[in-house]
Amino acid sequence: MTSAALRLQLENHLALRVPAAFSRKVCDAPELMPSGICGVDELLGGGIPRGGFTEIVGPASSGRTALTLSIIARASRENACAWVDVYDALDPESAAACGVNLNNLLWLRMKEKPAAVRQSFAARKGEQKPWTRLDQALKATDLLLQAGGFCAVVLDMSDVRPQDAVRVPLASWYRFRLATAQARTALILLAQTGCAQSSASLALRCAHEKSEAWSAGEQVALFGNARHSVTVDRKRGEENIFARKKAPQFASVVWTGETLWAQNAQPGQSAR
Amino acid sequence: MYVCIHAPDFAAQAAVRLRPELRRRPIAVLDGEPPLEKVFAINLFARRAGLAIGMSRLQVESFDGVASLQRSKELEQSAQSAMLDCAAEFSPRMEIIQAQQAEQCGGTAVLDIAGSDRLFGATGEIAETLRKKISLHGLLAHVAASNNLYASVCAARGLSGTTDIPFGQEAATLGPLTLDVLDLSAEAASTLHLWGVHTCALLAALPEKELVSRLGQEGKRLRQLARGEYQHLLVPVEAEFDSALVQKLELEDPVETLEPLLFLLSRMLNGLMRCAVDRARAIASVQVTLRLQTELNASPRSHQRTIRPALPTQDVSALLKLLQLDLETYPPDAAIIGLELRAISARPHRAQHGMFMPQAPEPGRLEVLLARLRKLLGEDRLGAPQLLDTHKPDSFRMEQYGSAKASTATEAAGAKAVLRMCRPPVAIRVDTAQNIPQTIWFDGQRFSATRHAGPWRRSGEWWSLDNWCREEWDVALADQKAEMLCRIAHDPASGTWYLQGTYD
Repeated sequence: MTSAALRLQLENHLALRVPAAFSRKVCDAPELMPSGICGVDELLGGGIPRGGFTEIVGPASSGRTALTLSIIARASRENACAWVDVYDALDPESAAACGVNLNNLLWLRMKEKPAAVRQSFAARKGEQKPWTRLDQALKATDLLLQAGGFCAVVLDMSDVRPQDAVRVPLASWYRFRLATAQARTALILLAQTGCAQSSASLALRCAHEKSEAWSAGEQVALFGNARHSVTVDRKRGEENIFARKKAPQFASVVWTGETLWAQNAQPGQSAR
Repeated sequence: MYVCIHAPDFAAQAAVRLRPELRRRPIAVLDGEPPLEKVFAINLFARRAGLAIGMSRLQVESFDGVASLQRSKELEQSAQSAMLDCAAEFSPRMEIIQAQQAEQCGGTAVLDIAGSDRLFGATGEIAETLRKKISLHGLLAHVAASNNLYASVCAARGLSGTTDIPFGQEAATLGPLTLDVLDLSAEAASTLHLWGVHTCALLAALPEKELVSRLGQEGKRLRQLARGEYQHLLVPVEAEFDSALVQKLELEDPVETLEPLLFLLSRMLNGLMRCAVDRARAIASVQVTLRLQTELNASPRSHQRTIRPALPTQDVSALLKLLQLDLETYPPDAAIIGLELRAISARPHRAQHGMFMPQAPEPGRLEVLLARLRKLLGEDRLGAPQLLDTHKPDSFRMEQYGSAKASTATEAAGAKAVLRMCRPPVAIRVDTAQNIPQTIWFDGQRFSATRHAGPWRRSGEWWSLDNWCREEWDVALADQKAEMLCRIAHDPASGTWYLQGTYD
């Protein structure tokens, strides 16, 4: 009996329990969500994957929030999006300036203390336990992903200390990854250091790039723009990892985020 | 074919309906604030004794053997319900006829019995059976049947017992009756009285054009009524459906935990939903009232919550989940001894789905999701942010999050620098040189301001107590490792510096 015939016989035998047991699962190319920043979109081949888990890491002022808001601005134009804000840091004014449709943005603001503890059913049973901000955020993200229907969900852990972020169990990230694939939702995690590891299908590293002096030569200096760089740390489905012999070398791109007043200001005029 | 039921002196009959010992006595029903009460209604015996509507209590007391009763709208309502219940056995299509005299209101109803002769016999039989059934409920009613709705009404008002008016004989039947059966206004009654017109036959004989020229269109209507020709479209009354969507339950033992309560709530919700679905309706809101256990001699207390799904739903499990989450978030503070559920129905939501609809959670699931999140985070911690029309930084309000809608706003060009806010702002220590920030301490670290822009002076609401003023600086802070772009602010009033946010 040839190997092909044996394989066919086994597949037929197992068809009810394991359909196509020896066939490779064909994965469709993921739908991409553009960020609207030309350089970044070129780097990512079109945008971040919808139905995937994207991790954007970097220190403060590295442009993580600006990049994410730029993605959400395009996603929220017609679709529902959610922003899980661990340290209640989102600025709606900045979000609106980026073009985010605030009506379609569900903003969840974590808080230190739990909701007013009353003599409740749960309290009588001794079930009440205080939720920290991070626990609340993970629970809320899980609820959002399980409910489905959101185009993009952002878990903003930018201000969470790295030592706390890495303590989040890997099982949570794995669960999120499965839920995003099922719900066709793009989950974006903002953090200072990478913590989702292999669960993230796309990992981006952001950094702050030093720019020229602010409005040199003018009477009053004007903060006009900030330069950031983005590097791809991990990209799932880029190539066959078994055929790869050495670590991939991803390129990076530098982009500039302008302030509103800098856009409106005429050359040689200080306005804010 | 129409059948009219008319209960004469309805208010008086309603007052003695449940007191049979008073039915053979003169009755005066009084209405108004004591001691200025007036006679509102009287029965036949009182009329024979000389009483009249509008007399004062003192005048009534001057008559011997007259029973004075206070008017009760509840009794009138209950008498009308009993009468309509009897009528509903013969036809669901009925209309309550309003009258000019207040004491007659509610005592006249018309049934459309077309097609029911095969079920209940000939029209005369139906009228007689109906009259007997109503008399069993303690009401004396006159019943008349006719092909014309108002002919049956006039005949019921003017002829006692049962009357069956054959087709084409309406004018002849109504002819000898006085004009009172037409329920005339006071003005029309006095005019016709002056003309010497006292019966329907005399009014019917008047020429139409001349009558209209003197009384207007009202004259034409009265003439048609007197001839039994006035056409009227029956507007059937329908009992308010939502009043039936009530479920009550008394508990034998007080309940302190939610789980056993959910079983009961589920059963009650199922009952409500079955009623709603039978009428092709959905439930738009549910009000749950929990009667709470109290101390002896203490006033009764209750805990009331209302659930309003975003869209009317027929999904019992979603409603139950919303109720559960709401009761967990806002629990009662004592054990529960009784339950009451009241629902308001609405037309079920219908939506046409398409291939290019925006991606958004299903309305039912979104409602449950928001309730879960509210329980987790608190009422005010989630929603859609909306900017306020002010220059004050960080001014926004949270609005209820709804389903996704497409935006027509134009796309923002290019990438933006975004601020991450510190809520509340972090107090910092700033060393200045020539009023320019040089060194900044916060979070236990020292930073040098390598670049700075500012100060940008902002103020507002100087006309109120909420006035604010600040000087803002954009600074690049550097330590040994990295550079950070921040916005710091100085409050001239208090002299404090604080970190407003970080550019990211």
